[in-house]
Amino acid sequence: MGAEGIAAVAPHAPARDGARRGRGIAYQIPRNSLALLMVAQVAVVLPFLLHLAPWLIAVCLFCCCWRYGVYQGRWDYPSRLLKALVVVAAVAGVALSNVPGFSLEAAASLLNLAFALKLIEMKNRRDAYVVIFLGYFLIATLFLFDQSMLQAGYQLFAIVVVTAAMVGMNQLATRVRPFSNLRLAGALILQALPLTVVVFLFFPRLAPLWSVPLPNASVTGLREEMTPGDVAELGRSDALAFRAVFTGAPPAPRELYWRALVYSRFDSGTWSVGPDPGAAAGPDFDRDETTARSYEVLLEPTFARWLVALETPLPESPGIVLTRDWRLQAPDPVLAVYRYRARAYSGAVPEPDLVRPMRARETALPAEDNPRIRAFAVALREATPDTRAFVDALLTHIRSEPYFYTLNPPVLPREHSIDRFWFETRRGFCTHYAGAVVFMLRAVGVPARLVGGYQGGEVNPITGHVVVRQYDAHAWVEYWQPGAGWIRVDPTGAVAPARIEQGLRAALSAEDRASLPVLGGVRLRESGMVRGLLDWVDSLDHRWNLWVVGYDGQLQADVLKRLLGEVTPLRIGIAVATGGALSGAVVALILFWRRRPPSRHPVERMFAGFCARMARLGWARRPDEPPGSYLDRVAAAAGQSADARARTIARLNGLLYNPAAPGGRAELRQLRGELRRLQFRLAFGPSSGVPG
Amino acid sequence: MAAALGERVFALLGSRFWRWLDRRIPPSSPIVLSQRNVFIFPTPTGFAFGGLIGLLILGGINYQSSLVYAVAFLLGSMFLVTILYTFRNLSGLRLELVGARPGFVGEDLEFTVRVTRPAAGSGRARGREGIQLGWPRGIMQWAELYEREAATVRVYLAASRRGFFHPGRLLIETYYPLGLLRAWTWVDLGARALVYPRPLFDELPQTSSGRRDEGELIDPQGSEDFSDIRAYRAGDPVRHILWRSFARGGELAVKRYASYLEPRLWLDLEATRGSLEERLSRLTGLALQAARLDREFGLRLGALTVPPARGEAHLERVLRALALHGLPDADASTGEAGRGR
Repeated sequence: MGAEGIAAVAPHAPARDGARRGRGIAYQIPRNSLALLMVAQVAVVLPFLLHLAPWLIAVCLFCCCWRYGVYQGRWDYPSRLLKALVVVAAVAGVALSNVPGFSLEAAASLLNLAFALKLIEMKNRRDAYVVIFLGYFLIATLFLFDQSMLQAGYQLFAIVVVTAAMVGMNQLATRVRPFSNLRLAGALILQALPLTVVVFLFFPRLAPLWSVPLPNASVTGLREEMTPGDVAELGRSDALAFRAVFTGAPPAPRELYWRALVYSRFDSGTWSVGPDPGAAAGPDFDRDETTARSYEVLLEPTFARWLVALETPLPESPGIVLTRDWRLQAPDPVLAVYRYRARAYSGAVPEPDLVRPMRARETALPAEDNPRIRAFAVALREATPDTRAFVDALLTHIRSEPYFYTLNPPVLPREHSIDRFWFETRRGFCTHYAGAVVFMLRAVGVPARLVGGYQGGEVNPITGHVVVRQYDAHAWVEYWQPGAGWIRVDPTGAVAPARIEQGLRAALSAEDRASLPVLGGVRLRESGMVRGLLDWVDSLDHRWNLWVVGYDGQLQADVLKRLLGEVTPLRIGIAVATGGALSGAVVALILFWRRRPPSRHPVERMFAGFCARMARLGWARRPDEPPGSYLDRVAAAAGQSADARARTIARLNGLLYNPAAPGGRAELRQLRGELRRLQFRLAFGPSSGVPG
Repeated sequence: MAAALGERVFALLGSRFWRWLDRRIPPSSPIVLSQRNVFIFPTPTGFAFGGLIGLLILGGINYQSSLVYAVAFLLGSMFLVTILYTFRNLSGLRLELVGARPGFVGEDLEFTVRVTRPAAGSGRARGREGIQLGWPRGIMQWAELYEREAATVRVYLAASRRGFFHPGRLLIETYYPLGLLRAWTWVDLGARALVYPRPLFDELPQTSSGRRDEGELIDPQGSEDFSDIRAYRAGDPVRHILWRSFARGGELAVKRYASYLEPRLWLDLEATRGSLEERLSRLTGLALQAARLDREFGLRLGALTVPPARGEAHLERVLRALALHGLPDADASTGEAGRGR
């Protein structure tokens, strides 16, 4: 024989490809997780559409598309240069858009960009976790812009998707089963909810530690400057302004003049609040507690400090300032739903004497502006020297001349705007009429001011609270008389009485109505069924604001007192421990309950017990052994005759495979005895101790 | 110096840990995992997640936003719930060493572990996934028990010395479901595998070393010159089967070859060059080649002599003898085939 070819002989080697698998290949993010991350990104970024620049969201969605291309294997990861370019362009974009540099919007924009760009370039496990954590962070960030119940429900869904992606990170890379991940993530979140509620109830609410960049989103709502067209714009919006809960029945809507801002300064066709008048010296007016109304307001975020209040207000919640023009002011801008209590003294005369600086402030007018209406006012004043009669004459003028109330007033110039309106266009919204009246009052030396706020509201029949929406925004006039103080006049009542009595809808012309969005709340509320549904949604949302969004230190103290009777550290500790243990026990029960062996048929149970006892004697049943063969083996070892063995086996098989057969109980007893004898013989018999 | 000291302290602590572990989780196969022997601790990712929650609470405080608080609490609660999930993923698993394959020095040895989850109770039993097994210095392998109730996992570890190889404790860990927590345990399944010397391939000697008288014997089988055909008998080399006649529908038949002057091969430690390990390696190589060529060979290892034979079992006996030569392993003399069960 030759030796050729021997060198090529390989040694016998165990299969080893399995051991090397994964060593040479770079880490890959599991596809399941990738797919879910892409869904998560869309889910997280989409709601920001309402709050951030649209181009930003477009960039995010584009990144997501790119990632999808990579996922499908059609596109490559972006090159390093491209990534750098995109980052620079995006940051420059944020800097150049009209968002202030150090604001919540800028921060949220950058976070969104980071989230999107990281998604494209992520390759390893850590990258993926960065994206996941950013996702959670963005979900929480959105609550600084919107805290409605609908949004919260959506965000819960987004959390489930992000969590599902996180689950995917810990699965075999080849598993693609996104729905089971979503189900598991949903179960996790659901099971975490009880504990969340416990912590939410008991976690101490602290005061802000430092000042933070505030969102300065342009929410629809009243602003500190107002050109007459502004409120007309609000008239189209059915966004919620605030909800109010009265102790007792709410007053009729026409009595509800919610003061928010006082515009004391007029310049170039624009009313503004002017310099801060400061806090009131004290509630030094006569208070008649019998007519006082107590109410609680849940104000939607306004990003300003003003609060709404009925006249004449006194704050009940701590921290709220009563200003010299009898308004309420929050200590900080209202970023989230803000709840406060106040009392209204409707008959009070808070300012019987007007101090000189205030008088100057409330009579100031630009010298040159609107000469015609000035002349008109002075002429009318000469005819009616009494101020009240003068005001009445003005209202009569509005009522008798062809003035119109409309959501679509013609645009007025900055100069001589009131002249133009009063004598030429004669079409306007509440601000036009009120502004003109204030101007004329000041022109004849009567202290007067334009008050902006909300008028009316709807009572929700389910919870009985008053809902005030942006289209209830209104402006009216206050003028001052010695001894009588500030007197409210609403010129809109002269041109469109229905606005005051029944709200905006009733006062709108067919033309205005047509300009409203068909699916907008203003129109939808007209149909009975939809209205019922909307009322129901509103009542839910109200409770949400009342108990969840508005859950602050004050409410927490009340709730804890109601829950525990007395709030001591010991009681809180016990309550937290009990709540935590209960919620943990629920989860443990769900997870481990199914592990218990099922209740089996008595025959099976008995046979299993027999097998276990025999195993202890050294005669274990092999996993692949049918019950009959096993019994045969054991019984043979015990020295039983073939006949007896066959009988026992037939009995066992009959009971096991036909448990419903008649006479089963007697058979079972018989079998039990036989097995017991068998066991005895094996344990103590002559042939014991040699398991085969 | 300090590093060396640190290493020693570490080693001391390490050995203490392993001794403690021996008391805590005594060696056994099969072993069932339960709260007695499963540890759980947050991963670095888990700590980062804690940081995220802290950040969110800070945001909730500074913005006085109930819902930001709520997100933080929800994530925190989810983290706590995950403790149960992660633990449950390992709890109840039954681990059993099924086999250990012998190998050569420098190769990865294959150990087969069977992982079984608790039998499905009523309703749908939950699958387990994301379970990883491996030796401390080896590569972790995944065990998927999502649809199946049991999985057979092969875990590998490189052997560095011949003889019986004890890989130590097997690490079972899981990061499932969120990767924020790691549940793990070290179990001693009593695994050991036989490691043969690393083969060194020399030219196979044409004539045997050893006693001259045996060299003259005529070997009736296993050579090149065709002699006759006879019916197949169990044990005949597969290469000699006459497949063509079998394909025609006939019986299995083998061609017989005869070689005259076919010497028996003796692998002799004494007659090999080099250090002891080198010599053992050479002999291993020779044994492998001889077996490959289906030649009859015997082994002389000092006092131990394995008479010439051929076949898989014989090769294993020879390799085993080579592997255990001069080692104090007690069962070296039992002579049982190296299945390493």
